[in-house]
Amino acid sequence: MSLGELQRQFIASVSGTDARESFDTQGMRVYANNYRSQLVTTLRDTYAKTRLWLGDETFDLAAERYVDEHVPSSWTLDAYGHDFPDLLERDYPDDPDVSELAWLDGTLRQAFSGHDGAAIDAGALIADDWDRVEFVFVPTLRFRRMRSNAVSIWKALADEILPPGAVQTSAGDGVRVWRRGLSPRFASMDARECACLDLALAGATFGEICERLRQLHASAAMAAEAGGLLRAWVDDGLVLSLRQG
Amino acid sequence: MPVQSPPAFHGFGLGLRVPHYADFIATQQPVDFVEVISENFMVDGGRPLDIIDRVRERYRVALHGVSMNLGSVDAVDLDYLRRLRALARRVDPLWISDHVSWTGVDGFNTHDLLPLPYTEEALDVLAANVSIAQDVLGRALVLENPSTYVAFADSMMTEAAFLSALCERTGCQLLLDVNNIYVSATNHGLDPDDWLQGLPLERVRQVHLAGHSQGRDMLIDTHDAPVPDPVWRLYARFASRLGHVATMIERDDHIPPLADLLAELQQARLIAASAARQAA
Repeated sequence: MSLGELQRQFIASVSGTDARESFDTQGMRVYANNYRSQLVTTLRDTYAKTRLWLGDETFDLAAERYVDEHVPSSWTLDAYGHDFPDLLERDYPDDPDVSELAWLDGTLRQAFSGHDGAAIDAGALIADDWDRVEFVFVPTLRFRRMRSNAVSIWKALADEILPPGAVQTSAGDGVRVWRRGLSPRFASMDARECACLDLALAGATFGEICERLRQLHASAAMAAEAGGLLRAWVDDGLVLSLRQG
Repeated sequence: MPVQSPPAFHGFGLGLRVPHYADFIATQQPVDFVEVISENFMVDGGRPLDIIDRVRERYRVALHGVSMNLGSVDAVDLDYLRRLRALARRVDPLWISDHVSWTGVDGFNTHDLLPLPYTEEALDVLAANVSIAQDVLGRALVLENPSTYVAFADSMMTEAAFLSALCERTGCQLLLDVNNIYVSATNHGLDPDDWLQGLPLERVRQVHLAGHSQGRDMLIDTHDAPVPDPVWRLYARFASRLGHVATMIERDDHIPPLADLLAELQQARLIAASAARQAA
């Protein structure tokens, strides 16, 4: 048997896709156990709050299903489990809190060791033509719209207090995740902020964001509202730089 | 192309793990070096890089990897090597080590250290990959004997002969894991005392000491317990033959207070000193 054939057969045996006993059974049991247990342990570690929410047994069943369906391919275990929230969304279609909690767990973990970026402070908010200003955000910033109170649940689990029951939330609300300095952060957002951040991340100018706010609310205080949002983003350490579009 | 060997270094160290980061950063601990898992710091940014920078301010660092996949018929992962090279530039490590093993094939990474048959073909594959890695990293690698749970009927040479040939072909150095020798030898019905036979001892750059656990059928290299007496005794018998070699305690699970590991390291110092006296 060539080395390539041996290695492919070995992998098939370790991952359980080949039931032939081509190698020592006792030894292969050790490798097969190492393989699965390491991947499940990685998921437990990355999705710690989700595990608390689901309970160990239910979480592990989901983790085992994920291992069955997802081959680890990267050199780093940090990359394993990125699609775990999708599996939970499929498994719990009527309970968005589960997959949204997992998204928050996973995104905070990615922010932990994501690219650095020195955010600007309010003193750098200077532009000749604000309508044409675009925003460059810190590289760890991610956001998503939420259908549940997963953010409140996550906070309660982190604080080791009784979490609230899962409830559906207003359409369009969301959460943003980023890292400030060395610390991953997250914050809830209402529908207006979600819409604006979505636009800003897509490269919209401040003028276009103001126009969107005007369409949403026909608010006379639209400019002040947009300015308030921008100030909050800067104060939270989200903005890397301003760019003249 | 000749590869640059790491400079001589004979200290005693510990594997640095998360529960002890703060202890090592806050106070100078009585170690000559620390060994870190390379992959934990091959990240884009954030706290891991801050930690390694602060650790490096106090200690010499050895980079120990688990994902180089050197024994695979897959091409060596150049993205991995470039990230490791960037980390090495940041840390200026004593040396870079990994394992005489493979972790996957066809892009399937088991994240486990899998055994190689000791054949000419495996030696060809491994030596080619080691040479590429050494070229990219600009230095000789230090490679560790793994614990194994399966032996192959195809093997044509002993593990020591395989390692010896690897050193000869690539100029690499060796990391001798005494616990792995004990675990593999016990699992395969061999005498661990015979293990050094034929090994180029002058190539041994570092020694690992660790614990294991008893599985259902075999010893398992779990690194979750103190160094057990049989491993200490084996180390004592090897130490006089190895001479002055950097030595460390490796613990990855059920990690005890730092004082416990420092006590184990002191035991290693005493054994090495005794061996040196006997050899003199």
